[in-house]
Amino acid sequence: MNTPLPKRIWQWFTRTRVGRSIFRIGLPESNLERSQVMVSSFLLHVQPAKVNRHSLRASYSLGLGLISLYLFLILIVTGVLLMFYYVPSTEKAYDIMKDLQYVVSAGLVIRNMHRWAAHLMVLFVLLHMCRVYYTGAYKRPREFNWMIGVGLFLLTLGLSFTGYLLPWDQLAFWAITVGTNIAGYAPVIGLKIKYLLLGGNVVGQEALTRFYALHVIVLPAAALLMVAVHLWRVRKDGGLSRPDEPGDIVQQVELKQLPTNKTYGLMELARGTTPQVGQNPEDEVFSWPHLVFRELLLFLLVAAVVLFLSIFWNAPLEELANPIHPPNPAKAPWYFLGLQELVSYSAFWGGVVVPGLLVTALMLLPYLDRQRQGVGRWFARERVVANTIFTVCLLTAIVLTIIGTLFRGPNWGWVVPWEQPPAITEGH
Amino acid sequence: MNHTPSENKNEVSRRNFLQLTLGWLASTFAVVAASAGAVRFLVPNVLYEPSLRFKAGRPDDYPDGSVTFLEAERVFLVRQGNTFRCLSAICTHLGCTVNRAEHGYHCPCHGSVFNDQGGVVSGPAPRGLDWFQITLSKDNRLLVDKNQRVAADKYLVL
Amino acid sequence: MNDLSVRKFYAWFTMLGLLVGVLVVIGYYRDEYREWKNYQHKYIQEEIRRASTPQQLALAKQIPVQIRQILLPDLNRVDRCTTCHLAVEDPSYGGYPQPLAYHPLHEQHPFDRFGCTICHRGQGRATTDADAHGNVPHWDQPMLPLQYIQASCGQCHEAADNPAAPELARGQQVFEDSGCRGCHKLNGIGGVVGPELDKVGARRSPEWLKKHFLAPASVTPGSAMPPQKFSETNLEAIILFMLSQTGESAPGYYASMKVIPSASEGQRLFQQKGCIGCHSIGGQGGKIGPALDDVGLRRPVEWMMQHFRDPQAVTPGTVMPRFGFTETEARALTDFLMHLRDQKVALSLPSLMSPGERGREVFRKYGCAGCHGADGKGGVPNPNAKTAEQVPGLIYVADGYTKDELKKRILNGQREITALDPKRPPPPLFMAAWAGIIKDSELDDLVAYLFSLKPKEENPGF
Repeated sequence: MNTPLPKRIWQWFTRTRVGRSIFRIGLPESNLERSQVMVSSFLLHVQPAKVNRHSLRASYSLGLGLISLYLFLILIVTGVLLMFYYVPSTEKAYDIMKDLQYVVSAGLVIRNMHRWAAHLMVLFVLLHMCRVYYTGAYKRPREFNWMIGVGLFLLTLGLSFTGYLLPWDQLAFWAITVGTNIAGYAPVIGLKIKYLLLGGNVVGQEALTRFYALHVIVLPAAALLMVAVHLWRVRKDGGLSRPDEPGDIVQQVELKQLPTNKTYGLMELARGTTPQVGQNPEDEVFSWPHLVFRELLLFLLVAAVVLFLSIFWNAPLEELANPIHPPNPAKAPWYFLGLQELVSYSAFWGGVVVPGLLVTALMLLPYLDRQRQGVGRWFARERVVANTIFTVCLLTAIVLTIIGTLFRGPNWGWVVPWEQPPAITEGH
Repeated sequence: MNHTPSENKNEVSRRNFLQLTLGWLASTFAVVAASAGAVRFLVPNVLYEPSLRFKAGRPDDYPDGSVTFLEAERVFLVRQGNTFRCLSAICTHLGCTVNRAEHGYHCPCHGSVFNDQGGVVSGPAPRGLDWFQITLSKDNRLLVDKNQRVAADKYLVL
Repeated sequence: MNDLSVRKFYAWFTMLGLLVGVLVVIGYYRDEYREWKNYQHKYIQEEIRRASTPQQLALAKQIPVQIRQILLPDLNRVDRCTTCHLAVEDPSYGGYPQPLAYHPLHEQHPFDRFGCTICHRGQGRATTDADAHGNVPHWDQPMLPLQYIQASCGQCHEAADNPAAPELARGQQVFEDSGCRGCHKLNGIGGVVGPELDKVGARRSPEWLKKHFLAPASVTPGSAMPPQKFSETNLEAIILFMLSQTGESAPGYYASMKVIPSASEGQRLFQQKGCIGCHSIGGQGGKIGPALDDVGLRRPVEWMMQHFRDPQAVTPGTVMPRFGFTETEARALTDFLMHLRDQKVALSLPSLMSPGERGREVFRKYGCAGCHGADGKGGVPNPNAKTAEQVPGLIYVADGYTKDELKKRILNGQREITALDPKRPPPPLFMAAWAGIIKDSELDDLVAYLFSLKPKEENPGF
């Protein structure tokens, strides 16, 4: 027989009584079973039994949303492990970080995984947002899902920011000092928000406690909830966007038109698009194995990359946080450096107005964009104006971030990165 | 050599067979190893508790015929002439700290009474107090190891 | 449908699966094979080799391979040095190569109470050679080079007259002699021209300090401090003294242990208890009891201690009362008296000194020499100052001021120093206001001293 060994083992197991009680379908061997295994499984039923073959194309979505989700899962697992050691106390946190590096088995690798997955997640959520934009996938009926996505993006930034403080070293302390000061520039509510975030006026024990609570339960719970709704909406909006979708053909069954007392199944009462609507049968493929196997491969890739980074590069840990000795310059985390650069020009316009307008525009984008065409293709011609505007904003943000990272030195003055040391050190 | 796979999805070519087997073995191994690593991560390598092996000072710090209570370590250090012994001060009933009496030890919680050898005289204690191994360290200090229990007749003789 | 078949991905699956598997294995190896385990194996091998009885062999084979640490909650640190330095307490390892060498001289400071980093600095929590020794980025306290080790004594003990740390004592002497306090506050006393020195030892390395003394502007751009001219020995000593100023507090147990009396503590007690009323030193003092100049040669320590506890017991019929000294006080006084035989003790016994002599002590205490030169002779550069680009000397101050004017001048200081050339940067050194720092009685004495600086009239017939 040519069935691979692991498959034979699994087939055997899922035919035993114990196996059958857990895995009601076992490894599918017929199309019926392929449908059933998706619908009957808790983890898998978030995906439909069949998907459009276009959705499988890696060159379309680049799997960016999935990558973001996998990174989030890695963060949850490593984060929970770290919680068994970490204490959000200004007296203890830093020493615990040192202990993780030196005396806890696998402590260094797990901490590194958490840090690199966090940075990658911010990056990939951003990339995913760009992909959705450039493929016009926020248009009707996916407007609300886009807004949820923007919310998730902000949550990702929030998670990264709150986590940044926890090591309580110089890098953490001053990045959060700068970040919360920028927040304080918002008119009317800025200082109140800063006071609420910090639990006071300074970055101290209160701030650490609050940031910890936000980081380990409040923001992750909100994010998980929103991810769930986000995936639900993907299903309900007809799966991933694709070219020449039927759009928003609504199949309605007006109940009052029906003459009998027959009860109707859910598929008859539900409205809106489904993969089956306006589809050719040859466009659909079974999720098992086509979608699921690709997802497995992608997970292995993400895991390999995160592991590789974590084994060979250590997450930074500077000196113990010292309110008396600010580094010069004090820089926010990299995803806020563009903002810090803007703020250096004008606290109000740069820190409040421009970012505020941008985020609002982002949120309202699907409702501002009336054009129906251009869904499902990258850089569709019809969208050249919209794409250009977005690209300009994106490039500006990137350039500002690069400036803030590489070209700003002490007192936020200009430096040329390959000529000077990065910052004034303490004279040792 | 490479026979083409039939339409039956269970049949795979030999190459595919190897690829799948290897792939699944490697992935399963990685998952199991990572899980084992996560469990090992949770096992502490160092403790922030008072160590079970500790130094109790120099022999000369303890007068002849004395029974000295070491509060932090909850033991009694007994010196008789040139012999040194170390007795646990934790009552074997429910763990209270016993007090030194004229002769022997009394537990204030439930009234257990122990004699000078640590044996139970009366009260609810199920067995006598433990004696711990005591040796002389390389820098001439008394070294007590609460990991090692010894019989009541083992002394350190200097 | 075939182009969607997952079979074309099987090769990817194999490669990625293997990649992840290999990475997990690499991660495991890097975590498992740690530097310190090598050293521990070496030590165990050595112990096995040296075992001469079956008992010792059994004990040696039982030695576990694990991280060892010394918990020091009162000192707020954890020292893991003994993970590699396994034989620090074992004299039979004297002369072995590090990290297995024996550490001598730890009798007074047992490791389980003091650890290692309180004296040697470095990063106690680390478990690798490089990180633990601390010469790595983002660690402020690398290990002290051994030549400066006496600096650590000064964190708990009085610098002066600490017999085990003569370099530290010399360092403090140089500090006092040079008048650094004129510009720098230390322990709350001093001027405000330069920064406070209370924690300088925790922040600055020996190399930085050396550069700072020889050419301050090279490490602190724009510094007002003039370059110091120290002999090689004095330079090393004062660097050491600066390194001892770490701001470490010695809580609880350590504070009580710190009252290991030094001779200067004894001197203070001697003055406080009024011993000079009955005994004399250097011809000064009372004649009721014997002179104490050479008591250190005549009486052993035990006799002195007993004498302090109960004078009648050692000298029947004596009129010396029982003062009820504590053991520590008795030991301090004994130390002090024993030291009288070693050195000419410049007794600063205020009651016996003239105001001028007391004033000299005040001059020394507040470090006036730092700017005004030793004995007020001047010569300290102050670039662009109208006063010949120098801080003015004080020798002729009696000619230019009345006593009241001088007092006012000292109390108010002078913040703005007239510049020689307004186009050049203003003179960096200025005079701090000493009001609130210097006591009134001290001020009187200081003025008396300054007025006495004027040289006697030269022979008019020259």
